[in-house]
Amino acid sequence: MSLYEAPATTTGHLALPTDKTHSRSGSSYSGNYSFINMYDCPSPGSSHAVDPTVESELEELHLTEELNSAKRLGEVAEVDEGDEGDGQGQGQGQGQEADEDSSVKESDTSDSKDGTIVGSDTSGTNAGSQVSATMVGSSSVLSLARNSNISVSTRTSSIPFDPTSSILDISDQAVHDQVLKSNFDRYGFKKPSSEGSNGVSGERYNTWFKDYSRYLERNKKKWQALMKNNGLGEAESRTKPPNRFPPKSDKVKKLIRKGIPAEWRGNAWFFYAGGHEKLNKHTGVYEQIVRDTEGVHNKDTEVIERDLNRTFPDNIYFNKSLETKHLKDSQLNSSAGKEETQSIKSLRRVLVAFAHYQPHIGYCQSLNFLAGLLLLFMREERCFWMLVILTERIIPKVHSANLEGVHIDQGVLMLCIKEYIPQLWGILGKNFEGETLSEDKILTRLPPVTLVTSSWFMSVFVGNLPIETTLRVWDILWYEGSKSIFRISLTICKMCLEDTAFNSRGNVGSGAEIDQIELFQFMQNYPKTIIDPNILIDNCFKKIGGYGFGSLSQDEINKCREFVGKQRARLTSKKQSVMKAEMSDEERRALQSSGFDGEIHDVYGFHRSIMSGVAWNKNISNRMKKKWKK
Amino acid sequence: MSSRKKTLLKVIILGDSGVGKTSLMQQFVNSKFSHQYKATIGADFLTKEITIDNGKQVTLQIWDTAGQERFQSLGVAFYRGADCCVLCYDVTNEKSLNNLASWKDEFLIQSNASNPADFPFIIIGNKIDVDESKKIPSLQKKLNNITNNQLGGLNYPVFETSAKDAINVEPAFEVVAKMALQQEELNDAGNDVNDDYNDAINIHLESEGSGCAC
Repeated sequence: MSLYEAPATTTGHLALPTDKTHSRSGSSYSGNYSFINMYDCPSPGSSHAVDPTVESELEELHLTEELNSAKRLGEVAEVDEGDEGDGQGQGQGQGQEADEDSSVKESDTSDSKDGTIVGSDTSGTNAGSQVSATMVGSSSVLSLARNSNISVSTRTSSIPFDPTSSILDISDQAVHDQVLKSNFDRYGFKKPSSEGSNGVSGERYNTWFKDYSRYLERNKKKWQALMKNNGLGEAESRTKPPNRFPPKSDKVKKLIRKGIPAEWRGNAWFFYAGGHEKLNKHTGVYEQIVRDTEGVHNKDTEVIERDLNRTFPDNIYFNKSLETKHLKDSQLNSSAGKEETQSIKSLRRVLVAFAHYQPHIGYCQSLNFLAGLLLLFMREERCFWMLVILTERIIPKVHSANLEGVHIDQGVLMLCIKEYIPQLWGILGKNFEGETLSEDKILTRLPPVTLVTSSWFMSVFVGNLPIETTLRVWDILWYEGSKSIFRISLTICKMCLEDTAFNSRGNVGSGAEIDQIELFQFMQNYPKTIIDPNILIDNCFKKIGGYGFGSLSQDEINKCREFVGKQRARLTSKKQSVMKAEMSDEERRALQSSGFDGEIHDVYGFHRSIMSGVAWNKNISNRMKKKWKK
Repeated sequence: MSSRKKTLLKVIILGDSGVGKTSLMQQFVNSKFSHQYKATIGADFLTKEITIDNGKQVTLQIWDTAGQERFQSLGVAFYRGADCCVLCYDVTNEKSLNNLASWKDEFLIQSNASNPADFPFIIIGNKIDVDESKKIPSLQKKLNNITNNQLGGLNYPVFETSAKDAINVEPAFEVVAKMALQQEELNDAGNDVNDDYNDAINIHLESEGSGCAC
């Protein structure tokens, strides 16, 4: 029962999935759904496989669009007036099917056969049986999904394998049930076992998943209606993920916040992030870089190699040994896990290519998580360009060699906490010695909690939040930009503050070191328990009953970033000029550690009307809560 | 500081990416090893209460860090107040051995240790479970060379461990605990006469003065 029967050579590619089509086990809304074929599986490197004339037409089409959207694409242009006006991305949805592809037809034919096997294979698995039994079932559903993709293809490409096939469509009842029984979730992640101290138990996962999948079904219908209203082929959306989506609007934004159907995610992220524009501007570039960087050894590739297997060791597409673990748990050793999955190979190529393409960044740990997650939803080339978009436009400098962007964004986040959650700042805004950091010290000596929150930014919550919650944040991220990371971070912080466990700690908080440490640990583990994405998203955005962080505008974030950046630059130059002066090592060290606290005098002024909005919302929501209680 | 109810000892684990810092910490604290650790971003820590041979109970707070060089700039916040620093390398990776000195230097700069020359470091070479052929050739000689020349000829304790097979991990951390306790007591004793916290404030004032003069 091998997961990957893929050809050993990288030249053969897996021709696409699609046959995740399963014979439906009847359910109420079935009619439309028989033989759902969720996956548009553009053939790997398909944009190159496309008829050249089509390609050039597309180029032309895009030329005007690009002119229109040039502004939007600029770094500064990630501006949004408050919570309004997403009108800007109009028209970017045209002519973007460059990646649509004929290979779908090939794979379409292998329909129900695999599906039935999935069903029957597991029907015999007693739900109540032992772990190993469920494990067998779980592996099989995934492996069948995979195996079914492995049809022989004669086409060659240097970019094989399309991992988007990994997402199981849970609107298929059989698959839905299977996911419940399985030890793996629909993305191939191992469900947390009860041993796990931090996360969530498999049992709790299942309870939640039953409810959540109903929510997803309802939500998908809304999406289908939206597509239909926008004249985007209904039939298309029923059979495979659409490549085009409606232009940005408040309505679309709302629906995005409710979540993109998992099997459409890759395409939707790519579309709204401006991936098509990027890709069309750089046709063939990725393939070229991959060719150029093959076999390269340098400082970056060394770290990349070490991280490949440390990215998603809990995902079956990234760790082959998970599949066999139940068979020989005791003898599970390195050799069992040595065999590389296609996803690992893709991850290597993407990261190496990225390091080559963005030399000022090179490889930075955490990019592996970003690329890894993208690879579960889109093919390599797209994944590569999404990484470029993220690091160029959305969170610039965060991964750069000196991590300047991390320092800046943490400074911004701390200022935001101080402004919007002052009560929390009273607890967190201290150093480990218990000394409260005054405004002018925030930027020179970031409070310890930034060690927790910087990972939220670098990994954009991958590994910090449960997977389904992470994905909902990513839906918003690619559509709304970096402000989403701040908004969600603030929401998590406030949820921490409101958690009773935190409060009991916080009250002890005289600021003694040990309390600081406990709070630190709490903040680090808390996000892992936010298993229901709707709670997080609602808290963040709901105007009534939520925290109202949806009103923190990109403009505000950008201004604040600029402020922090300037202050830091001033500080650095000051530091350097002082350091040049003659002094002993000891003096220098003392001076360095003193943090130059006295050098920052400017204080950032938040746009106060926003604050009053939050207060107002809070007030109203409290009153509403009381009312409902009665 | 003397008002602390229990003795909390802060230990920092440093070393190149992939040498097994997380594994060492997990093996020591939770007595388990997994092939499924993810790359550490930012920092993580675990605590463990242990009894040192004189019967004294201490809580070790062990900080695990990201190994990639660029992450060092984030570490400032938690290097301070450390009582012991563990420098790790991988016995199959010569580069990680050669980097020990720079990890030490970086730590001393960022931690603002009051007595850098006497600050307790311990060196751990991890992954001794691997095949002999993969190990760094003439490791001992190279290690001696590094401790004598780059680490200042100080006799830091050296352990060879396997976090995977739980070899030598516990003994290494027992030594860590003892050294950390010593350091902590030293600091506490020094606090009466010359509190390093006050010291920092003095320096701060001075630096402000000199800043104005410029």
